Amino acid sequence: MEEKIVGEGVKFERIRRITGYLVGTLDRFNDAKYAEVNDRVKHQVSTGTGAGVFEKV
Amino acid sequence: MLESIVKRDGREVPFSIDKIATAIYRAAEATGGNNYEESLELASQVVNYIEQTGNTKPTVEEIQDAVEKVLIETGHARTAKKFILYRSDRSKFREMNTRLMKIYEGLTFTDAKENDIKRENANIDGDTAMGTMLKYGSEGAKQFNELYVLKPEHAKAHMEGDIHIHDLDFLTLTTTCCQIDLVKLFEGGFSTGHGYIREPNDIASYSSLACIALQSNQNDQHGGQSIPNFETAMAPGVRKTYRKLYVSNLSKGLELLCGYDDALEATKNLCKEVEATYKVSPILANDNGYQEKELELLVNKYKLPVEAVKRAQAFAIKKAAKEIDRKTFQAMEAFVHNLNTMHSRAGAQIPFSSINYGLDTSPEARLVIKNVLLATEAGMGNGETPIFPIHIFRIKDGINYNPGEPNYDLFKLACRVSAKRLFPNFSFMDSPFNLQYYKEGDYNTHVAYMGCRTRVMSNVYDPSREIVSGRGNLSFTSVNLPRLAIKAHGNVDVFFEDLDRKIDLIFDQLYDRFLIQGHRKVYNYPFLMGQGIWIDSEKLKPDDELMEVLKHGTLTLGFIGLAECLKALIGAHHGESVEARNMGLEIVSHMRSRCDMKAKETGLNFSLIATPAEGLSGRFVRMDKERYGVIPGVTDRPYYTNSFHVPVYYPISAFEKIKIEGPYHALTNGGHISYIEMDGDPSENLDAFEAVIRCMKENNMGYASINHPVDRDPVCGYTGIIGDVCPRCGRHDGEGISEEVLRRIKGYTKNLCSCDENPLEDADKIANPV
Repeated sequence: MEEKIVGEGVKFERIRRITGYLVGTLDRFNDAKYAEVNDRVKHQVSTGTGAGVFEKV
Repeated sequence: MLESIVKRDGREVPFSIDKIATAIYRAAEATGGNNYEESLELASQVVNYIEQTGNTKPTVEEIQDAVEKVLIETGHARTAKKFILYRSDRSKFREMNTRLMKIYEGLTFTDAKENDIKRENANIDGDTAMGTMLKYGSEGAKQFNELYVLKPEHAKAHMEGDIHIHDLDFLTLTTTCCQIDLVKLFEGGFSTGHGYIREPNDIASYSSLACIALQSNQNDQHGGQSIPNFETAMAPGVRKTYRKLYVSNLSKGLELLCGYDDALEATKNLCKEVEATYKVSPILANDNGYQEKELELLVNKYKLPVEAVKRAQAFAIKKAAKEIDRKTFQAMEAFVHNLNTMHSRAGAQIPFSSINYGLDTSPEARLVIKNVLLATEAGMGNGETPIFPIHIFRIKDGINYNPGEPNYDLFKLACRVSAKRLFPNFSFMDSPFNLQYYKEGDYNTHVAYMGCRTRVMSNVYDPSREIVSGRGNLSFTSVNLPRLAIKAHGNVDVFFEDLDRKIDLIFDQLYDRFLIQGHRKVYNYPFLMGQGIWIDSEKLKPDDELMEVLKHGTLTLGFIGLAECLKALIGAHHGESVEARNMGLEIVSHMRSRCDMKAKETGLNFSLIATPAEGLSGRFVRMDKERYGVIPGVTDRPYYTNSFHVPVYYPISAFEKIKIEGPYHALTNGGHISYIEMDGDPSENLDAFEAVIRCMKENNMGYASINHPVDRDPVCGYTGIIGDVCPRCGRHDGEGISEEVLRRIKGYTKNLCSCDENPLEDADKIANPV
């Protein structure tokens, strides 16, 4: 029996926050916002464990 | 001898002296002249003049220059003036036509993926018929307003990118946004303008009417809509539904235990009798003595056996509690689904909606909060992440911040849902600038946030009405901070002087716009004003102007690119040096104090917003790059950094970023938001997630959220982080996968084309924590 292939051409969805609201696909972002999303770097939360790190703030 | 002239489009046409004479005659006519012979004589002087210059094929522009010169030199000053005016009107018109037609051409013949204008706002699908039609209207209106409505100095500053007038297309039409008090709206029912709706009687109707209210109001304004008191507004629906469920279950119990055939009508009457006699209803908390009174009546008056009645009551309580939970979930699920599918604005958008909640500790309101969170966590029909509404979970000491507080469990749940779905965002009622208004149990004093970040609370126009309900932003205009810094060449004094001039210009423009808005009438806004959504509008008649009631709204100065501004001014942004940090605060404090002074002087609510730049993020920098070239750290990226944010590309710890951005929240009374980008899947590390939220609160932020990647593979239904390969089914983006393999992974045998089932995601749902 021939193997049936599904999902061809179906793209992953990538939900991102644009300016406070969410957008279901990066395709709708304007050029500047698209560049900005790609530039976003992660912010290290802590090297310790969870909540304790922030208690002194 | 002139034989031909060159038209604007480059075509050569035979020269005709009559045409020049006619143009002069028309200008003269406009000032009362009627001598064509004289016009002809002047026209031949024009021809002589051109011939003297040796030009044998003049352009239209050159001929017009010559006409002006001859008219002035021969003492026809008034005619010259008319001619110049006519000429500039014509060129304005032509310019508008060409620019606009170019834009229309792009909108018509290119897809959104090649046309940035079509992607100006990501929540509008520019490829649809209605989305494109909306853009035609919007682009046409913008140009009309630039050329004919704005003062020339405002239009110039906007077109050249010194300032940005947001929502310019709506300049003459409406205001930005409103905080809708559903409690008030639902009392006694309301009309959408297309029919009257009775006061709802069921949580399902409460939730669907909430959607209708958001949708209706969205069509009367150009911004987003916010419900400031979501759980409190929905709670009466839960109460009413619980009462019905209790009565129907009690009737079933009585049928079974007391041998009735159909006890429903009798039980309904019984409930009414208890309510009328003792002023108590069946409620979820079951702590008001209703059951005792009901028992008394059933035993003493209706002679039913005590034991049977008690058992029926216990059954009813148990069943009703379970069913109300389910009903509330369904209502909240419908609410979320509706807001992601209902159309607004001619179908190009879904309503841009925000809901604030978290503080009401009544059992009914808690049920609403729990279930709206769970419905969001569950996602849409195929497990997709809901895009709307924006959820804002309010945090408050004593209510939900610390273990043991009544809504602490809901805060924990909010963290869990946000870690999966990016919403809720979090707002902080204990930050001094929010706490100063806070009164326990009075939702009108609890600061709400709208859409992207707008905040409306203080009220210089009427200090006795510093409330959230029925108020919103009227319009906002942003200043291009980086350009001011580039032009100042490191001279801080020059920078502040120039900034002051721009602020003056913006205040003037906001006020002009306010006057236009104020002359609009109640009938222009059938829902917003016609249904009394906006504060005091219920006191107006359909033909009344809005001037006075609009004074409760805010007129807002915004800014973009503080980071690039600091870079240009002192060589470092506020993530990089303490000096820049101080300078950043000095700049934003200055803008805020200018707003406060202006508010005091005018009695209007001038305020400062950290601009939510979407369309604007690329506009200023594009122009500045063209003018000043590539300046490292300033114009070298395709966007200016959002408001006061530390640049997204700059490596910094979450803790540091929050500490740096926190103080700006207090300064931006018209709205603010901060983001932290979290690595990995925060669902796996909820402690860290909560720690970041707590850190935001401790640093006195007003409104903030955590970003993390939420990807989804529509083929196998996996939601989480997807790099190049889906971690569940192993396919690459766009790649096919064997149905057999997929079936094994998914562990079910349903037809894969059917989109209404997703067993795996159902299996992912976790038990309710409340």
